[in-house]
Amino acid sequence: MAVIEVKNVNVTYRVLMNKSGSLKELFRDALKGKARVVDYVALQDVSFSVDKGEVVAILGRNGAGKSTLLKVLAGVLPPTKGTSKVNGKIAPMIELGAGFHPEMTGAENVLFYSALMGREVRSVKERTPAIGEWAGVTDHMDFPLRTFSSGMVARLAFATATDEHSDVLLVDEVLSVGDSDFQAKSKARIQEIINNGAAVVLVSHDMSAVRELATRAIWLENGHVKMIGNPQEVVAAYEAN
Amino acid sequence: MKYAQLIRLLVNRELTLRYKRSVIGIGWTLLNPMLTSFVLWVVFSFVFASRLPGTQQYAPYLMAGILLITFFSQGVTICAESIASNGPVLTKIYVPPQVFPISTALAGLVNFFIGMIPLTIVCLISGQSIAWTIPLVLVVGICLALLTAGIGLSLSILYIRFDDSRNIVNVFLMILMYFTPVFYPISILSERLQILVSYNPLSSYLDVFRWAFSNNATATLFDWGYMISTSLISIAIGTYVFKKYWPRTVAML
Repeated sequence: MAVIEVKNVNVTYRVLMNKSGSLKELFRDALKGKARVVDYVALQDVSFSVDKGEVVAILGRNGAGKSTLLKVLAGVLPPTKGTSKVNGKIAPMIELGAGFHPEMTGAENVLFYSALMGREVRSVKERTPAIGEWAGVTDHMDFPLRTFSSGMVARLAFATATDEHSDVLLVDEVLSVGDSDFQAKSKARIQEIINNGAAVVLVSHDMSAVRELATRAIWLENGHVKMIGNPQEVVAAYEAN
Repeated sequence: MKYAQLIRLLVNRELTLRYKRSVIGIGWTLLNPMLTSFVLWVVFSFVFASRLPGTQQYAPYLMAGILLITFFSQGVTICAESIASNGPVLTKIYVPPQVFPISTALAGLVNFFIGMIPLTIVCLISGQSIAWTIPLVLVVGICLALLTAGIGLSLSILYIRFDDSRNIVNVFLMILMYFTPVFYPISILSERLQILVSYNPLSSYLDVFRWAFSNNATATLFDWGYMISTSLISIAIGTYVFKKYWPRTVAML
């Protein structure tokens, strides 16, 4: 059974022409009849499915709809039309550390981030030292996050996100976290998660990583699927474009 | 409920984070209303203290008002902001967005109850005893939390869509405070103003609160009904508005 099933997904944003986010200007434009609502199509008729153990890479230029697609998959953004179904637990690794707070300690942040992902707080509490150790920040776990270097934050976030088994991993350009040692370590962990049968959706501009990891690739252009299939072929076509 | 743990962590964070870098920490929650009330007491007690009817005392009257209006104004502003300020999380991880305003309202409720410790002291100092009706302040607190969360939920949508709505809301909250008998007895107003002030739901909340806490006001059946109905209406409208507009608003975060 497919872990991720996306069927005819459309996402349209309603945008105000000359939008400036000010009530005064909206009022003024409305009076002059200048306020016009325009539909901006971010995703158009996107369909695909991802099975267990598959790694699907999403390629495309900036603004092609990659982030929108990830938001739809994460369940954050409801599609305007169509359906997106994910069976199982999602571990979003989109912009690691989004739920982190600089004034809370490392340990508190691990707990909080895990609770955001819907994990059981009690079991995470027991795992916290192990998470800190894996990220290599054991000595800092009781200090506020603002004293961490940005590499340390990213490592801690990665360690937290991947600590529990999840069925779906959403990865957005985070394979380049930390120094080369940690990069090797994190790649190994992702490989381990894949081997355990998780489905991975990967957004990356790093074509060599795509060739190496992906089992399938989707090329998005202006919100619709331009090409889908074997990663070697799709990457070649994308690079030739 | 799956997100109960998250709400507990959020409430905890809300309560402790504000004073994270201060020496006495959460002690400020106790001290803040006392200091504010003291300053206002110095300024206004000469004018208003003698205007209170019967055995009512000005110091606890004032402080109860400060506690309640702080809960409301701070609650509404922070609730309304909570969605926008947690935008980075909400656009990446699926959590029901309502947990943020709900946690804020709950944290406000906890602060409100903590603030009753100094209020008790002030009551006793000014020669009042705590009324036997005190358990009823729980109802007041819950109604206020619902009112705050409801208004906060509706405003949070507005805050994301229009940046300048914050300023309008702040001005409106200030006007509302002056139309609530926080530091003046309602009897000093002209008859027309009195009617206007009594239409302000917060006046009813405040009457009930002062009455239940130390019998420092009179609460009518109308006050009770007005309080409970406005809180329920507010949370109903808030959840409805939020549900309806959120799918379109999340794209703007």
